[in-house]
Amino acid sequence: MTLLLDWQGVLTGQPLQWIISGFLTTLWVTVAGILLATILAVLFLGLRTGGGRVGYAVVAAWVSLFRNTPLLVQLLFWYFAAWNLLPLTFRDFINADHPGAILPGNVWWLTPEFICSAWGLAVFTSAFLIEEIESGLRAVANGQREAAVAQGFSTWRLFRLILLPQGLANAWQPIVGQYLNLMKLSSLASGIGFAELTYQVRQIESYNAHALEAFAVGTVLYLLTGVIAGAILVRLGPKHARTATKKRMA
Amino acid sequence: MLSGFFSQSAAGSADFSRLENASVEFRDVVKAFGDQRVLNGINLTINPGEVVAILGPSGSGKSTLIRLINQLESLSEGDILIDNKSTRQLSGRALRQLRSRVGFVFQQFNLYAHLNAVQNISLALEAVHGWNKAAAHTRALELLNQVGLSDKAQHMPSQLSGGQQQRVAIARALASSPQIILFDEPTSALDPEMIGEVLYVMKTLAHSGITMIVVTHEMQFAREIADRVVFIDGGEICEIAPPAAFFTRPDHPRARRFLQKVLDPLHQERPA
Amino acid sequence: MLENLTVITDNLDYLLWGRLADGQPGGVVLTLLMALGAAILALPGGVALACAAWRYPGIIRRVLFLWAELIRGIPLIFVIFWLWYLLPMLTGSDLPGAVTVTLALAWFTAASVMHSVLAGLDALPVGQYEAAQTQGFTAGQTLRLILLPQVMRNVQPSLVGIFISLLKDTSLAFIVNVPELTTVAGQVNNRVQIYPTAIFIFTGVVYYLLCSGVGLVAKRWKPRDPRLSLAQR
Repeated sequence: MTLLLDWQGVLTGQPLQWIISGFLTTLWVTVAGILLATILAVLFLGLRTGGGRVGYAVVAAWVSLFRNTPLLVQLLFWYFAAWNLLPLTFRDFINADHPGAILPGNVWWLTPEFICSAWGLAVFTSAFLIEEIESGLRAVANGQREAAVAQGFSTWRLFRLILLPQGLANAWQPIVGQYLNLMKLSSLASGIGFAELTYQVRQIESYNAHALEAFAVGTVLYLLTGVIAGAILVRLGPKHARTATKKRMA
Repeated sequence: MLSGFFSQSAAGSADFSRLENASVEFRDVVKAFGDQRVLNGINLTINPGEVVAILGPSGSGKSTLIRLINQLESLSEGDILIDNKSTRQLSGRALRQLRSRVGFVFQQFNLYAHLNAVQNISLALEAVHGWNKAAAHTRALELLNQVGLSDKAQHMPSQLSGGQQQRVAIARALASSPQIILFDEPTSALDPEMIGEVLYVMKTLAHSGITMIVVTHEMQFAREIADRVVFIDGGEICEIAPPAAFFTRPDHPRARRFLQKVLDPLHQERPA
Repeated sequence: MLENLTVITDNLDYLLWGRLADGQPGGVVLTLLMALGAAILALPGGVALACAAWRYPGIIRRVLFLWAELIRGIPLIFVIFWLWYLLPMLTGSDLPGAVTVTLALAWFTAASVMHSVLAGLDALPVGQYEAAQTQGFTAGQTLRLILLPQVMRNVQPSLVGIFISLLKDTSLAFIVNVPELTTVAGQVNNRVQIYPTAIFIFTGVVYYLLCSGVGLVAKRWKPRDPRLSLAQR
């Protein structure tokens, strides 16, 4: 059976606009999600180490809850259930038009969809980030801490100058993996009507039935973005994380 | 190039299922890892039934030397003849046949971690040599007895001491009744008090008809058990001599320096 | 508060097993069927691919790695889309939606299993392989009798994690309207409209019990037996 692919139908006119809009939306919600997830992870790690037994239990519960439920269900919850529990004035404020609240590329971020998607993605990813950072810190050899203590380092200095740099280097590869995963998971936000790339791809498919072409374009965009973003993030990270990556790829 | 084609098919069908003559001969053997020449023109003949000790400083190439015999490493140049037959082009079935006739004992024992002692010995008998379970099990128990570990038959490697593991490893190597056994620093990974039990087992094997090639640091073993000592340094054989001659009147200056470092470590010339 | 719960109890049978009586399993039952179906396909498939990559380093290993990177580099939903549109073209017939999703999940999971098992093979001390070489084992025997028994035990935690992810990923069937638990919950919510909190919390709880249950069972099933602490030099 021969396949006649009509790329024009997908790469021109309205479909092209949709693709560009969806792609930029995906990028923005990914960035927002990554920032928020990292902040949450750092806060929770602080809570776990400094919050005694209660802090430890709270973080354990958070991690367990968000790792053992599907992201899609979490998004549906945030969008359909939790959103309506917010104060009415807040919701009205968001729902009103804010012509100023546009990110480059015509992406409206002061909308329930964007906020719920970014929040949902961030909360889900933070549960995994906490574990990755913790593993990275734990993997720093005990002797490092002992040597620093023997030299008279204070706890905070020890953490900042000895443990954290090495811990981050250990954890950087998995952290980057989680960030890239967040970008791929943003495709699920299409389920709550968020107009990111996957949503737009399906829109094209119902507009002119060019399913395969639209999927192909979407596939290539996700792949390329992942590869490029991954390379950039690894380069931005600690230097000896890079050699660990090279060893893994060898 | 074409001759390589023909000799491959000829050598590939050489039968190593039984060695007439358990001899090993190195002919102009060269082994290089990338640019680095670890062995540089080795010529050595080891006679059937002989016990040969290979000595040398670390990095001299002695482990590589015996690993070439059963092709854990591959030759860069030259050839190794076993039973007067070339082994350079062996592959597939013929190579596996050869390997099953040559026993190998590792420095790190390398017992199969998921099997107990008796299973470690019987596995190859069943899977490689086609023995039935009962016969393999009986033979395995016999061998465990021979190395003095019948009471540890059901133990897992992690439950055995280093010396016990190495003895099981020797029993495993003996299972297929090899005519040549290679030992790669068999006692180097052992705590001092366990070295004796392993050397004892090796002593009982010596001069029983099996050709033994032993890379070792144990000078006493070399002195008392070996028929000949081969001293290798910097990828070349510097001296071959019977132990009596080697240990009392070493010829080669590097051999003399090595012996002094090993036998009298606290009194040496300061390193340059 | 109580009305919230009645929406669950009223729809409980639909949420748990869909239209099973009509021969159309749904809800939790369909979730489990899809997860198990995908696992049964992905586990032996992934192990076989890992063995192939291990046995034939070079072009085959690189191709397999490339394949795995491609699959894991795109959102899982796209894998579902591709199979959704390609399978009918290739087989010429219409497969039930649940089957397509299961196949997509299996395809995706096999890549993860291959990755895990291959990492386990590479992490074994090289001495295990060398000892097998010196005794004359074939590559197939080496894998079957010596390497895989150890590797499968070592990577078991990773495989359990993959299965838990699989359970969660069945929820993606929501996007293509296959009636597993998440889709069914969405349908109930669309119909009833006023109790989204109860519905989605219930759904979350069910998944939570399934996933953490699998985790607990796995931990209890393979206790930390010191005798089994394998070659870790």
